[in-house]
Amino acid sequence: MRQSRTEGYPEFAAARAGHLYRSACLLTGGDTHLAEDLVQEALGRVYLRWGRISRLDNPAGYVQTVLTRTFLAHQRRHSSRRERATDVLPELPAPDPAGDTPLRLTLLEALGRLSAKDRAVVVLRYWEDRSIEETAAALNTSSAAVRTRCVRALARLRLFLGDTVGEYAAP
Amino acid sequence: MPPEDHDHFEDHLAAALRHTGGAFEADRHTLVTGGEAHGRRIRRRRAAVAGCAAGVALVGLGAALLPASAGGEQRSVAAPPVTPSLSPSQRPVVTGDDLVRTLKKLLPGGRFSHEEGRGTNSPMPLAQVVYDDGKGEAAVAVSLDRVAPGSQRAAQATECPDKVYVPYDACTRSTLSDGSRLMIMQGYEYPDRRVDTKMWTADLVTRSGQHISVQEWNAAAEKDAPITRDRPPLSPARLKALAGAREWRAAVDAIPVDPFAAVVEPAGTPVASGRPVSGTLVSLLPKGLRVASKSAADPGFGYLVLDDSRGASLVQVNVQKPVPGVKGGASVPATRTLPDGTTVDMRQSDGDKGVEGTVVRTVDVRRPDGSRVVISAFNSGTQHTSPTRPLPPLTMRQLEAIATSPKWRPVG
Repeated sequence: MRQSRTEGYPEFAAARAGHLYRSACLLTGGDTHLAEDLVQEALGRVYLRWGRISRLDNPAGYVQTVLTRTFLAHQRRHSSRRERATDVLPELPAPDPAGDTPLRLTLLEALGRLSAKDRAVVVLRYWEDRSIEETAAALNTSSAAVRTRCVRALARLRLFLGDTVGEYAAP
Repeated sequence: MPPEDHDHFEDHLAAALRHTGGAFEADRHTLVTGGEAHGRRIRRRRAAVAGCAAGVALVGLGAALLPASAGGEQRSVAAPPVTPSLSPSQRPVVTGDDLVRTLKKLLPGGRFSHEEGRGTNSPMPLAQVVYDDGKGEAAVAVSLDRVAPGSQRAAQATECPDKVYVPYDACTRSTLSDGSRLMIMQGYEYPDRRVDTKMWTADLVTRSGQHISVQEWNAAAEKDAPITRDRPPLSPARLKALAGAREWRAAVDAIPVDPFAAVVEPAGTPVASGRPVSGTLVSLLPKGLRVASKSAADPGFGYLVLDDSRGASLVQVNVQKPVPGVKGGASVPATRTLPDGTTVDMRQSDGDKGVEGTVVRTVDVRRPDGSRVVISAFNSGTQHTSPTRPLPPLTMRQLEAIATSPKWRPVG
């Protein structure tokens, strides 16, 4: 029985892990260690219920939602102890001399300045290319709330990134 | 994404996210095996408390993902009623239906439809209704949040947005008698006003960090909803009364533990924290240019609106401090390289907002230590309005002189 409940899970996890990790890196503003933890937690939750999840139309979208909610839950658990009570900077991501460029850090820095919920909205909308309605469903909120957050988050990103964001679009 | 949401900045942001996100390399094996191990650990823990299993059986993954409090406990709707002695984290959930009822009670008489509520156990508690006071349907929403008192986020919640980036007709800030800060903005749904739907908002942050945000539109605000009336139904005074209602504060207190609204500081390191970038920019301007307005202090980014009597010009600068371990250098072909290895890229474009006639001159200076200064000058006063003049008032050479100034060097 157990075998059938996890049938197809290893292949699914292997196929999605890379994308989930990249999403998590954006959600965490470049904290790769936290991103790894979040992906493992999200995959772990999916593993537990793979029997049902595997029959969904879009298990990949589902696990992405799990990841986003896992991220928000993590932020909630840790926000007070780390940022609020002690008022210290959160742990900075370790720089990657081989991969990071100043451009990347500029975008990650800008993402890091958004609230966790705003970041989740931005990542779902513009990285996952989800509609307002799909984003609202993933975050268990209303379309209007997502629109409002989106408008405000974009305004802040414009402020942080200015005209330079266009450079990323270059091939 | 829907056509009405289309915007060049959004295109570029999506491309930037793909570029940045795509560069993170995953160790898939670790993730997959770690995920499975994590799942098994959860299963073992559940097995250990099998006696309670029937009571805590997951009802769909949504339930599994309801945020847990710091102590791991999850309050249910069956929790005992609120008593004054309970701390916020011990208070029971205020349901979405409760919040909708409160909203309807606080609004003036009218017809209600499309009621939607998310309780205090959801990531974004809110109440939303379509409200008709007899003059046309309008969406009204109240969302609740908690912010760290005294934090940057608490301050930003009640700061009028910068008009250079977010157009609005009016925005007022005030402090209430109990010390709460209130910001009321009469603005628009879309910053570039491609659809002229009005969105009026009130944001109130109490001294203890309760954040109540009210939004109303002159449309039912469902997707593609047409404009139903000239203006949203609640006047600024009514918005103030609605945001200030004590009922919301009690609901915010019921949000378990702490807000998602973490005061997450930048992942990178902005240049010389607190140093006003716009001030440095002013000091480097050629003579004869009047500064019409400038940005508030925001480490690493600033702008000025210049006016030489021939038309307003937005000049913005982005400064990035070196990051330890990060090698500097150009990721786009540099126009030229200085003797110390600094690269200078200069280009002229038509902007990214699709506004006809826009000319943007940009100089991008990257030093070998990883620090970077990007300065852009527009031939318009904002990024989203029509040109005021044929060309920006600053030449490439002048922009280069500003961007390569040693004044941008980090102070340590």
